[in-house]
Amino acid sequence: MMSKILKYSFVLAVVFPLVFLLGLSLAQQWQFPEVLPQQWTLQHWGNSLFQQGDILKSLFLSLGLSLSLAGTVSVFAFFMSKHIAYSKHRQLYMRFTLVPYILSPVVLAVIFQYYFTVANLSGNFIGVLIAQLFFALPFGIVIFNNFWNEHLKSIEQLSFTLGASSRQSLLKVILPLSKPAIVLCFFQSFLVSWFEYGLTQFIGLGKVKTLTVMVFSFINEANVFYAALACILLILPPIVLLYMNKKILILAR
Amino acid sequence: MLPVLAGLGYALSYSLGLTGLLSKGITFEYWQKALTSQSLWASFLYSLSIGLVSVFISLCFAVSMALSWNKSIQQGRLSYFIFLPLCFPATVMAFVVLQWLSPSGWFSRIAFELGFIHSLNDFPNVVRDFYGIGIIFCSVLLITPFFTILMSNIYRNENLLHLENLSKTLGASTSETLRRVTLPILFQKSKMTLLLFVIFVMGSYEVPLILGRQYPQMVSVAIVQKIQKFNLNDIPLGFAMSVLYVILVVLVLIVFGKPSRKYLKPHFK
Repeated sequence: MMSKILKYSFVLAVVFPLVFLLGLSLAQQWQFPEVLPQQWTLQHWGNSLFQQGDILKSLFLSLGLSLSLAGTVSVFAFFMSKHIAYSKHRQLYMRFTLVPYILSPVVLAVIFQYYFTVANLSGNFIGVLIAQLFFALPFGIVIFNNFWNEHLKSIEQLSFTLGASSRQSLLKVILPLSKPAIVLCFFQSFLVSWFEYGLTQFIGLGKVKTLTVMVFSFINEANVFYAALACILLILPPIVLLYMNKKILILAR
Repeated sequence: MLPVLAGLGYALSYSLGLTGLLSKGITFEYWQKALTSQSLWASFLYSLSIGLVSVFISLCFAVSMALSWNKSIQQGRLSYFIFLPLCFPATVMAFVVLQWLSPSGWFSRIAFELGFIHSLNDFPNVVRDFYGIGIIFCSVLLITPFFTILMSNIYRNENLLHLENLSKTLGASTSETLRRVTLPILFQKSKMTLLLFVIFVMGSYEVPLILGRQYPQMVSVAIVQKIQKFNLNDIPLGFAMSVLYVILVVLVLIVFGKPSRKYLKPHFK
């Protein structure tokens, strides 16, 4: 009985932040000491999605950035991880891949910023994409590292023995087998970019207004209702991914 | 590694006065300032304490949940709910905590309605406070689900249920089994991940930016503020801090070796 009560309390505690944010995004007036908002409205959602469009623009920008990063990381990490996995110095390379992953993204942004300014990459989409790539690519390699093993190597060699060219072996043997790994890498890189704030703000100079940047600007303006709305939009894609596959979420954190 | 080395090279040369707006040739002045700066060490120690306390509290909750609800976490409906907090970016969780725990927040309103407080000022200061309670609370909310899943996976993969039964058959009590079998194995298998999470919390930026205060500051916030300040003398100091932070983290990585993500690895078929 006690265990059941604790479980239900836990579920309530987990779901409550979501309900709280949804409620806040639908509130219009909420003065202290009222526990619930005095007025409810759909106006914020209507304004954001259909009229002013700032949040909608940020949503599409975030989606564009995260999808571009996920695609780029998946392709590069796929080929680079293969070379690393079959290299004599695999352990050493794998340690190197962990360095940018363990460092704080914002500290990375601080030490990269000079080069981005010189290359005229500060304050634009491409600059932020490249900066996130430095951070997410090693992460992608870590994900693929588990995929390249002796079994796969022997399958690839078997295809060569049976007369396949490198291209045929890649397209007809390796790629179909690597579909789960590519999907996992794609979605995890997507989430790394989707959750990112410090690096995006620092390299983007506040001009690349992703949803996380918008949440901060709403907080600074003390516009809690719109901040809550942007937060809901930030949480939705990970929830969809959770529904699709739980494992996708766990490694991205 | 190349971009990191290039970045570090620039930060190091800036902190040694070899480049930058105030560059006058090589000088150790900024490093001397950085190494003797009370606020820098306070910042490092503060970040380390927040990291250690957050990881310890999360670990306690996670081990309790993983041991009590292991089956439900692996298979039942709870398995979906345990993953739900992982959908929250740090920015969102920090915003939620701010809305809950600030003096005009939701808990303060409830305390007012219940008659525990009579004005905003009566509510204890738990966000932007000296002890970083808001930051710790937020970090615990973010980390605990991850640790719970990690502990639950170790429990299953190491066949701990079997070992626990064996220990009890050999005459050990429940608490002895917990202290001498379950907890040591869980800790041994997860220690590297725990250490990495201490480093992650130390380097977190969004959470202390929303829930932290000006002094003491978490290390990432302190570095960014030094470099973005209008005082040009602070920029080399900020770069010296960032180099020190990187050296510290890389040293930890070298000393403690390759972190194992075995228990979180996907299985490709």
